[in-house]
Amino acid sequence: MPELRKDPILGRWIIIAKERSKRPTDFVVEEPQTQGGFCPLCPDNEKTTPDEVLVYGRSANRPPNTSGWKLRVVPNKYPALVIEGEMDKQAEGLYDRMNGIGAHEVVIESPHHEDRFTYLPHEQMILTFRAFRDRIRDLSQDKRFSYVMVFKNYGKAAGASLEHSHSQLVALPILPRMLVTELDGSLSYFKYKDRCVFCDIIRQEIQQDIRLVCENDQFVTLAPFAPRTPFEMWIMPRRHHSSYMDQDDTSLAALTDIFSETLRRLDACIPGVPYNFVLHTQPLRSEPLQHYHWHFEIVPKLTSIAGFEWGTGFYINPMPPEDTCRYLREIEL
Amino acid sequence: MAEKKTILIVDDEEGILLLYREEFEDEGYQVIPALNGEQALEHFSANLPDLVILDINMPGMSGIEVLRQMKEQQPDVPVILSSAYPEFKEDIGTWASEEYIVKSANMDELKASVRKYLE
Repeated sequence: MPELRKDPILGRWIIIAKERSKRPTDFVVEEPQTQGGFCPLCPDNEKTTPDEVLVYGRSANRPPNTSGWKLRVVPNKYPALVIEGEMDKQAEGLYDRMNGIGAHEVVIESPHHEDRFTYLPHEQMILTFRAFRDRIRDLSQDKRFSYVMVFKNYGKAAGASLEHSHSQLVALPILPRMLVTELDGSLSYFKYKDRCVFCDIIRQEIQQDIRLVCENDQFVTLAPFAPRTPFEMWIMPRRHHSSYMDQDDTSLAALTDIFSETLRRLDACIPGVPYNFVLHTQPLRSEPLQHYHWHFEIVPKLTSIAGFEWGTGFYINPMPPEDTCRYLREIEL
Repeated sequence: MAEKKTILIVDDEEGILLLYREEFEDEGYQVIPALNGEQALEHFSANLPDLVILDINMPGMSGIEVLRQMKEQQPDVPVILSSAYPEFKEDIGTWASEEYIVKSANMDELKASVRKYLE
């Protein structure tokens, strides 16, 4: 019997198609192809990128935009949004429009072309989480921006156009619809229960222990109750925090540990699985929120979205999260 | 008399190739046409042009793959990507090019870019 499940924050229903139940080995993942030739993100090719906005690891006596770095953030050379100009909000009858103002940046996560984010050593991976924090802090100084979207595409199927390990961030002048829905849903829960819904989820999942993938003293990784895809996972701080950019280095070290473990478990279950991850955090102009909790969502690219899904907003998932959690926990790292 | 600068123009549409060839020969350049990625790389190795105008969406080898190989061989030869589709800008592989120009009926932007790198 298929099952409908409701996301308690978004109010979104998904279908768990148990009759189509799968095992990790049932998912066919295209073997990653190694791209030869010139890579604009590799060291010694810095002149092919725009000037860097952040760099870690290069010694002080080397000039900017040269090699010797451990992590580098550069503006997108051909950005979707542009940083120059004003929003110029206008009405066109009942419609709204404004200039495409924003910042679009690429975080080059390692100087080594062949490195995979999942297997970066701790001291390298933590630089990526620091870069997210430091860039959000810097971009929050620009009053035109309301939100910074941080995301990563890994694997061609998940939208990665280049194999050199990288993630992206986009500063936006408006709040994305998904975030607004998440904020509204969590506020609604808070008004009803006087508690944060994310904190309640963490408490229940730890207590039930059937969707808890892994944990450390500061973070938990959960398979959410109503997942959009097989092996979807959320990484959340145990203690209530609504803003990622307020995290200190100790917190980021613990985040790095659990992120590394989570991705390695996922890759051990389905080698080479393409995935996206996104950071959800409070809006830039917001005071700390009692009802909202920052978190990462990891969404493997294992199923396709067709007319039914697009038309209804329903996702059809062949794997209950309790099963995916069990497979992930069984992995011996 | 100064030697003419050479432009390698790569596009799978013969009409575009013919148009670009006429326009840039009128501007005083020597034009080498190529209909696909393989031809482009052959001409690139044999003739080493001063500049390349490169389409992206081609059957067989894509323009981005051609770009990658050209830059591996000769990183200092400027390459201008010229595509009807702005969405390829999302591909970070395009960053190896000097410019990305969306094709339009008005060639002024493309001509200005070529002049920038060749004069």
